[in-house]
Amino acid sequence: MTRTDPEPRIPDPIELDAAEEARLRAAAGLVPARPESGGEYAGFDQVGIPDRPPQTDREREVYSLDEGEMLINMGPQHPSTHGVMRLVVKVRGEIIVDIDPVLGYLHRGIEKLCENATYTTVLTYVDPMDYLSTMHNEHAPAIAFEKLYGIKAPPRAEYIRALVVELNRVFSHGLMMGFLALDMGGLTPILYSFINRDEIVDMLSAISGQRMLFNFFRVGGVNWDTNDEFLSRLGTWRSRVLKNIEMNEDMITGNEIFRSRTIGMGTLTGDQAISLGVTGPNLRASGVPFDVRKAKPYSIYDELEFDVITHEGGDSYSRYLQRIAEIKQSIHLIDQIIDKMPHGPVQAQVPGIIRPRPGRAYGAVESPRGLYSVYAISDGGPTPYRFRMRDPSFISLQALPKLMPGRLVADTMAVMASLDPVMGGVDK
Amino acid sequence: MRNLWTDEDTVEFSIPGDRNVEVLGTLRDDPDLAFFMLADAAAVDYGVDAHFEVVYHLFSWKHPGWLRVRARVDRSEPRIRSITDMWEGAMFHEREMYDMMGIVFEGNRDLRRIYMSPDYRSFPLRKDFVLPDDAADSPAAGVNPLERPETWDLSHFREAVAVTFPPSDLRGDAPGEGVEGGDFADSESRPR
Repeated sequence: MTRTDPEPRIPDPIELDAAEEARLRAAAGLVPARPESGGEYAGFDQVGIPDRPPQTDREREVYSLDEGEMLINMGPQHPSTHGVMRLVVKVRGEIIVDIDPVLGYLHRGIEKLCENATYTTVLTYVDPMDYLSTMHNEHAPAIAFEKLYGIKAPPRAEYIRALVVELNRVFSHGLMMGFLALDMGGLTPILYSFINRDEIVDMLSAISGQRMLFNFFRVGGVNWDTNDEFLSRLGTWRSRVLKNIEMNEDMITGNEIFRSRTIGMGTLTGDQAISLGVTGPNLRASGVPFDVRKAKPYSIYDELEFDVITHEGGDSYSRYLQRIAEIKQSIHLIDQIIDKMPHGPVQAQVPGIIRPRPGRAYGAVESPRGLYSVYAISDGGPTPYRFRMRDPSFISLQALPKLMPGRLVADTMAVMASLDPVMGGVDK
Repeated sequence: MRNLWTDEDTVEFSIPGDRNVEVLGTLRDDPDLAFFMLADAAAVDYGVDAHFEVVYHLFSWKHPGWLRVRARVDRSEPRIRSITDMWEGAMFHEREMYDMMGIVFEGNRDLRRIYMSPDYRSFPLRKDFVLPDDAADSPAAGVNPLERPETWDLSHFREAVAVTFPPSDLRGDAPGEGVEGGDFADSESRPR
């Protein structure tokens, strides 16, 4: 097709002149994504919601359009946003200029609910938050409440806790591999990921009774001891998990499309990641060896042998490799835990309704998505006076608007999948 | 507030609210302290006749514990300076605190609601926020069964339930039915 129109309104990325290209590349280098000229305020009609004046400078920036720019909604009902989240994306042709995440579509007010629930019940309420790391969600409140109440879980309970959270980490990271490939159009790896996940959730439902929202931890221990079905399934799973992971890895890692869409994409340096509050595998993939299991050992992690794995790249590909390395590390930890597990009770003696002394406690764990922490305040009553959760995917999501300017729209979901947020945790 | 204690792996101190940027900046930039990571920032409401607190948790490689800095904020004038210049990641923390507690962060250039809709007018995590649900109209309104038993006033509750529970044809018929002595007169039979 020959171009007869001298000024096409939406320029193709190929046609961008050098200055424009340089400006967008500079924006991709994570300077604050701000177009120099203010543009004209376009209003909220653009994204299909009633118009109102902008509330902040930042909102005015996002909703002001230069020539050739437009706003589009991505979500909230979008198959690849990993839940109900809306991204207001400002685009120039196919190139992203700015992103504004709009949250709250899944907000349930769990912190307020927990202020009206007994300490034991809180461990139930936090389950559906980050629904892919349910065991970790219960671990941090359990640690905080045990500090408040002044008891310790028995050694066997701590070992069972470490066992189930590492199993949870394996299937969460395994799903991330599959979803990352799925967001780039690869349909097969997610099926292999779910084979692995189903084996683990069957195992965990044998020990806890539930398949997804396990509700397994108690203040001062865990609900059940290990049983024959759990151990039998664990042995079967252990005998074939590495083969399964490697099969998946072979399919994804060498794939040319996968490599060209992840290497160098969404690069986050260590300093930026720290400033943005990114934690967990995403931070370690940027070369910062921060792992709560090593930095502030909780549970039994100071008795286990492992090193903090890091990667230097900081791009989507490094984050993917980081997950695979951590899966293998978790399997190694599971072997150690099984070897060292002592006999004994799994639950300390605690009353049905706990009334800790007035005080404050902070419990932090390393969830598959990063630093998950709980800050609990007791006033001596049967319910927490204040119960605060810091969810890692909520904070890590702030990196997305910094990573995307200058990239193509189709890469948004690929970069987002590499950050691995879960909307149940983002919206609490 | 009563005399509180703190746990074994956290060091904490309080500061006045207007010094938060100065104190946190020193903690971050002093090479001997080097609290380079903001682990958490949260707001606490200590009641209608008390104050707010903005609580920062920091991490450093050089110190064995978490550091908790509690900045006091007046309830009548809930304003404090933003730390988004030091940690960009404080943005979502501060937006959440504004949304849930109504604390205004001066210098934050994106302070709008993050979970609730933009036209929402309340601050849900404040202690004087009451859930407007059906329970407020129930016979047991005003009775929180988790409060201390000596504060229970069950008179109108007992009148309301006495006519329907337990059904008279069940009462005492089957041993082990669990309803014998089922009036709520003795608080010992209530789950504690």
